[in-house]
Amino acid sequence: MVPYEYYVALSGLLMVLGLIGVIVRKNVIAMLISTELMLNAVNIAFVAFDFKLHDVVGQVFVFFILTIAAAEAAVGLGLIMAIYRMKKDVDVEKLTELKG
Amino acid sequence: MTIVQQLVAGLGIPNFKVLIPEIIVLITAILVFLAELFIKSRALISALTVVGLALAAFSMLTISEGAITLYGLYIVDSFSLAFKFFLVIFTILAIINLQSYVESKKTYYGEYYYLILFTLLGLMIIVSSPNLISFYIGLELSSITSYILVGLWRKDYRSKEGAFKYLIIGGAGTAIISYAIALIYGKTGSFDFARIFHVIQDNSDIGVTAGLVLLLVGLGLKASAVPFHFWTPDAYESAPTPITGFMASVSKVAIFAAILRIMVEAFPFSNQIWSYGWAILAAASMILGNFVALKQKNVKRMLAYSSIAHSGYILAALASPNGMGFTALIFYSIVYLFMALGGFIFLSAFEKNGNWTNDFEDFKGLAKKHPIMALYMLIYMFSMIGIPPTVGFMGKFGVFMALISSNVWWLAVILVITSVVSAGYYLKVVAYMYMYEPVNSNKFKLTAMEKFTVGFLAVLVLVVGIYPTIFWEISNILTSVLIMNAGVR
Repeated sequence: MVPYEYYVALSGLLMVLGLIGVIVRKNVIAMLISTELMLNAVNIAFVAFDFKLHDVVGQVFVFFILTIAAAEAAVGLGLIMAIYRMKKDVDVEKLTELKG
Repeated sequence: MTIVQQLVAGLGIPNFKVLIPEIIVLITAILVFLAELFIKSRALISALTVVGLALAAFSMLTISEGAITLYGLYIVDSFSLAFKFFLVIFTILAIINLQSYVESKKTYYGEYYYLILFTLLGLMIIVSSPNLISFYIGLELSSITSYILVGLWRKDYRSKEGAFKYLIIGGAGTAIISYAIALIYGKTGSFDFARIFHVIQDNSDIGVTAGLVLLLVGLGLKASAVPFHFWTPDAYESAPTPITGFMASVSKVAIFAAILRIMVEAFPFSNQIWSYGWAILAAASMILGNFVALKQKNVKRMLAYSSIAHSGYILAALASPNGMGFTALIFYSIVYLFMALGGFIFLSAFEKNGNWTNDFEDFKGLAKKHPIMALYMLIYMFSMIGIPPTVGFMGKFGVFMALISSNVWWLAVILVITSVVSAGYYLKVVAYMYMYEPVNSNKFKLTAMEKFTVGFLAVLVLVVGIYPTIFWEISNILTSVLIMNAGVR
């Protein structure tokens, strides 16, 4: 049986990868995917801690996170569609108009 | 017995009496959502929203005793009721000015009303959550609807860009907060503030510390404290101005209330980390917010940076984790509602007119054209600097005294110095209004509602500034309620 610490370490790794993705990626869709990756890392952490605590409350929380991630992705993709219709581009560096 | 009856017998029925304000807001939101499809009259939709909110505010006054309900997921005490009352009242003030603004900008959608109501519902949930689950749900309900509200401007690219930046950074903040909750849950095995309080009372370890630091980062991000403030100026500048006013005042104050409750009820023995963390975030917010605001040319963006600076002033109170600091935080965040909403509604009133671009140039000679409105703006600006007869002075004075009483001199000094620096840009607005001749003699069109809102809030700023006792006493009582709650539950 794999000890729970391994799962927690995996979730931490995914979390950091997602954060790096949000910071370095220039494609708006990739940025959105990175935030989703971070939320899924949290799901792994919750399930791992439930495994350790022999409890199910954390798994209930996972359902909340799943729905929230879906709602956020829906809003994000809607915004990306609107941006693409206006600018025909998905590169953050070319899209920036608000500065200062 | 049927299964439903067995369930009810096992769990008990939630006390719906104390939930009436939230239920009214939810029903109003759904009604407006449906009515907006069939009713063509825009004034009627607006009126329906305002009536619903007024009913919710009134029903709050009838609640005589608080309770913890929904199986420990929801708390109604005087702290949450007082904050909810202010949130609802100031949402009404933002909504009555929305229609004229969005119609003049040709960007009217019926969606504004129910999205604002759902945001408000989320904010009401976070100020009355004794549990990390309900806190998280409320936070997300308010955040996701805010992303949509920022991006709702028709055929305007900047609005979409601001909303997208807000979504990405806000989404990262959400993930960080939920990871913090996961770490705290992994250590304590509970989401309840009281249980967390008891478990980590004497055995705090690296997991809890990491969770606390991540929670601090996430909450700082939502409250737009400095290293995580990037979304604030863009989202605030690109949103429709009454929406900006709503976000800068109502949303922010709810976040401060939630931060205070989490800090007092869940992690009182982790004061050291919390207080140092908030002190650093507050110092960075005050310094960067004020210095960047100095070089802004657009007044709306300048006010966005000033709201970052005000986050700094308010969070600075957390550096002195005792009753005095909490009282100062509650007082400042309530009076900050007056200034922030008033300032943004002033801008929205003038922005309706086509030739107004929120530039400093536009303010030239405003005192000659609209002497009364210019006077109100002068009061707001003086209040934001913290000049004595206004309420901003009392707020800063409270934070300053709290910091000195717990020997955090360096932060008190930063607070005073940055306040002096802030005069550089607030007084610039006043100088442009009073010391220049008008470029032309065109008057601006203002509706009665806008005049009323701006005037009412300006009078409130002056009156509370001269006689702060009532609000100060309210803050004192709320603090003692909060501190008493911490150990008992």
